[in-house]
Amino acid sequence: MMDMKMIEVQSVYKSFGSLAVLKGISLDVAKAEVLAIIGPSGSGKSTLLRCLNRLEEIDKGTIKIAGQILVSDVDGVSHYAPPAEALAICRQTGMIFQNFNLFPHMTVLQNVMEAPMTVKKVKKSEILPEAEELLRRVGLFEKRNNYPSQLSGGQKQRVAIARALAMKPDIMLFDEATASLDPELTAEVLKVIGQLAEEHMTMIVVTHEMGFAREVAHRVIFMDHGEIVEEGHPDQIFSQPKHPRTQAFLNSIL
Amino acid sequence: MDYVLEILGPMVDGSLITIKMFAIVIVLSLPLGLLVSLLRISRFKPLRFAVGTYIWVMRGTPLMLQLLFVYYGLPFLPFGGIMLTDMQAAVFAFTFNYAAYTAEIFRAGIQSIDKGQYEGAKALGMTYMQTMRRIIIPQMIKRVLPPISNETISLVKDTSLIYILAMNDLLRTTRAIVQRDFDTTAFIVAGVFYLLMTLVVTFVFERLEKHYAAYEG
Repeated sequence: MMDMKMIEVQSVYKSFGSLAVLKGISLDVAKAEVLAIIGPSGSGKSTLLRCLNRLEEIDKGTIKIAGQILVSDVDGVSHYAPPAEALAICRQTGMIFQNFNLFPHMTVLQNVMEAPMTVKKVKKSEILPEAEELLRRVGLFEKRNNYPSQLSGGQKQRVAIARALAMKPDIMLFDEATASLDPELTAEVLKVIGQLAEEHMTMIVVTHEMGFAREVAHRVIFMDHGEIVEEGHPDQIFSQPKHPRTQAFLNSIL
Repeated sequence: MDYVLEILGPMVDGSLITIKMFAIVIVLSLPLGLLVSLLRISRFKPLRFAVGTYIWVMRGTPLMLQLLFVYYGLPFLPFGGIMLTDMQAAVFAFTFNYAAYTAEIFRAGIQSIDKGQYEGAKALGMTYMQTMRRIIIPQMIKRVLPPISNETISLVKDTSLIYILAMNDLLRTTRAIVQRDFDTTAFIVAGVFYLLMTLVVTFVFERLEKHYAAYEG
């Protein structure tokens, strides 16, 4: 199954009140593919990502995660899988937020162990070595007994990545993971994301880091006003964008 | 000094009633208040309305009136009156009254937690109940310690209202001694007793605040 689709999105519509944020989005992500989504703020790229793990609910359309139907269209209205099933489907994804959302009342190690212990009921003795190994991978083993408030932004984001990986997700969703970090802290987080790409993790990366998107992504999607305007290979999108809106956007930021 | 020693015995007995009332009510009203606060923010509208009405009644009428109603009024309810002992009536009225106040404090604390915490937990696959139990409520407790400390200190002193049910708590015992001996020394001793009790409460809450100071947020 080389071309197994991990994410299938078909004609998804989503409005906040009278504001249409997603206007008929369709996209697929293959296993081990890294997809970068770029676009101006307000283009709907974060909302699209948040619909994939049900942080937002769509109005219309179909979303499948690893072949399982999270939400489908019944007579033009979205119809979600039963709660327990939907939760199980969403558990195959891990998400990284712009604001980290670490649990401030827990140490770094407790943050990483929390979800496996509470959600999967894994014993502490089993998860502890795994959690320590994950923290070594993101270079924060020494900080395992610190609280999040004692870490830099880049360190917090690396803990957040370790925390998400502890649930062994098949898909990682990055929602502007470096947008609130200084350039030198951004680099250390991007390095960790790059490592995940090398390990063939399926990822969707919503980002403003064009250099990173070009280097790591297999495919780039440019969104504007709730629509996919253009998609293609990073070299093509960044060197020879076809659509005038893509050209205008890339000119405005590069 | 001899006089103080002489009245100390009955005053300690009165204090024990006060402490007993306080201890039972605090142990019952804090969990009840937490439960009420969770119902108050539930998605089920009739439940929110019912809980809102309960809080309105409890905060909108005098505690003394509630005390009198539970003790003297409940036995005369049209469908099966309830007869309670004075201690039961007092515990009942105080618990439901204090739960209403603490529920509002807990609710404010819960709603002060950043919505990113819910999203972070949900993205990790946690259910609403797991999120509340493991993520939201532990952080809420740290934030509400100062106002809960206030309520707890109030409770120590408010227990004196039970004199209306002729229960021999510290204050009623004191009044009886003053009226018997025509000597106001007992008032001063009672003041010292209350100060000692609230000092213990203050100390406990300071320890708790220090415990939770381990992390910021």
